[in-house]
Amino acid sequence: MAVGEFEPKIAGFLCNWCSYAGADLAGTSRMSYPPNIRIIRVPCSGRVDPLFVVKTFQQGADGVLVAGCHLGDCHYNEGNFYSRRRFALLAPFLDYLGIQKERFRLEWVSASEGRKFSDVVTSFTNDLKKLGPRNVLSSGGRG
Amino acid sequence: MTESFDKQIRDKARELLKSGDFACVMGYERATDGKTARPLFAYTPEEVERFVFDQYCTHNLARYIINWRDNKKSVGIVAKPCDTRAINLLINEKQIDRSKLYVIGVACQGIMEAGWGAPTEKLQLRCNTCSEPNPVLHDLLVGEFKPEAAGAAKPYADVAAMEGKSAEERDGFWQEQFSRCIRCYACRQSCVGCYCQECFVDELDPLWVGIKVAPAENAVWHTIRAFHLAGRCISCNECERVCPVDIPLSLLNRKLEKDGLDLFQFQAGMDASVTPPFATFKKGEKLGTGD
Repeated sequence: MAVGEFEPKIAGFLCNWCSYAGADLAGTSRMSYPPNIRIIRVPCSGRVDPLFVVKTFQQGADGVLVAGCHLGDCHYNEGNFYSRRRFALLAPFLDYLGIQKERFRLEWVSASEGRKFSDVVTSFTNDLKKLGPRNVLSSGGRG
Repeated sequence: MTESFDKQIRDKARELLKSGDFACVMGYERATDGKTARPLFAYTPEEVERFVFDQYCTHNLARYIINWRDNKKSVGIVAKPCDTRAINLLINEKQIDRSKLYVIGVACQGIMEAGWGAPTEKLQLRCNTCSEPNPVLHDLLVGEFKPEAAGAAKPYADVAAMEGKSAEERDGFWQEQFSRCIRCYACRQSCVGCYCQECFVDELDPLWVGIKVAPAENAVWHTIRAFHLAGRCISCNECERVCPVDIPLSLLNRKLEKDGLDLFQFQAGMDASVTPPFATFKKGEKLGTGD
């Protein structure tokens, strides 16, 4: 990691049953991936309110990753189908507001896909490095 | 047209109120400037003589139906086509009881822009981009149904123009717009869809939107306000009309409407029996995100 290079901040909302376990597997398997991601565990990708994503961007994240079980494998059967519909509409809307669509990712990572998790984080980090820092509005704390 | 419109509305409103089953009939009366219109809530048969309808009756009165939700009596409403779509939205979301509502649907000629005492001959944006010029539900139809009436030719031209700009331009444009917001929440108060008992913006813990009126906080408010109406906004554009600092909110609302049509083939308020897009899903669908 070169000194002075832009290091993007990524917030990752990972579902408890698949993606969080996938991230855990990547760690226990000693796979390396960039430390730019901050992981937040949620019960299901369907739990991720679009408000979380918008708020995370406002607080200064350069990218947001939402990851859950593969379609059809949801622990709650259909949570990820609902979340897919929501984010299919949110992603172009954020792009419309000036937050490029490359800054948001919705991925399906199962508990056995430690390799896929590390690949996703690596490629996401590289993409964000190319995009550069986001033009974040200064908010001034809790106000 | 206006004379007979007024008479039909008055006659029906009088009949409803005289029956004793109705708590109120909502419609329009002449504003005190003598030119434009304002809402009228008629509670007695005598008051119905003040009802008028013309091309300055801009308010979406469907906003007020919910106030009578717990009243045993019915209410009547004078509704333009976009207002009838709002009624469909409320029925679909089980907020109001159709059997306790009498809809006087008005075949709309379009609504003109008007300031206080200064009516113009210019159609409002919502009428230039209107996709349904006939009432989608009514108990009494005032005026002529337009059978061949198609919607506007290019309802999303301004949205497409905004999409065509670069990310930096869009970012700059919206930052400037949101920085002017004074967070009076007039957009929310005028909206038929914003009936939540507690709005996310009023919550203090977690504090989703900071109390300070700052550009970044305003951006969260406007993004989520629009997104909470995704697949629900019926394009009456009252939010933009009441905005004191003229933020082009319809550019946000209609972007979501456009994408909702493309992705889910859904337009809010057209049919109360259709499940809205976020309450359902199809397993094999391709949406461009998370496929």
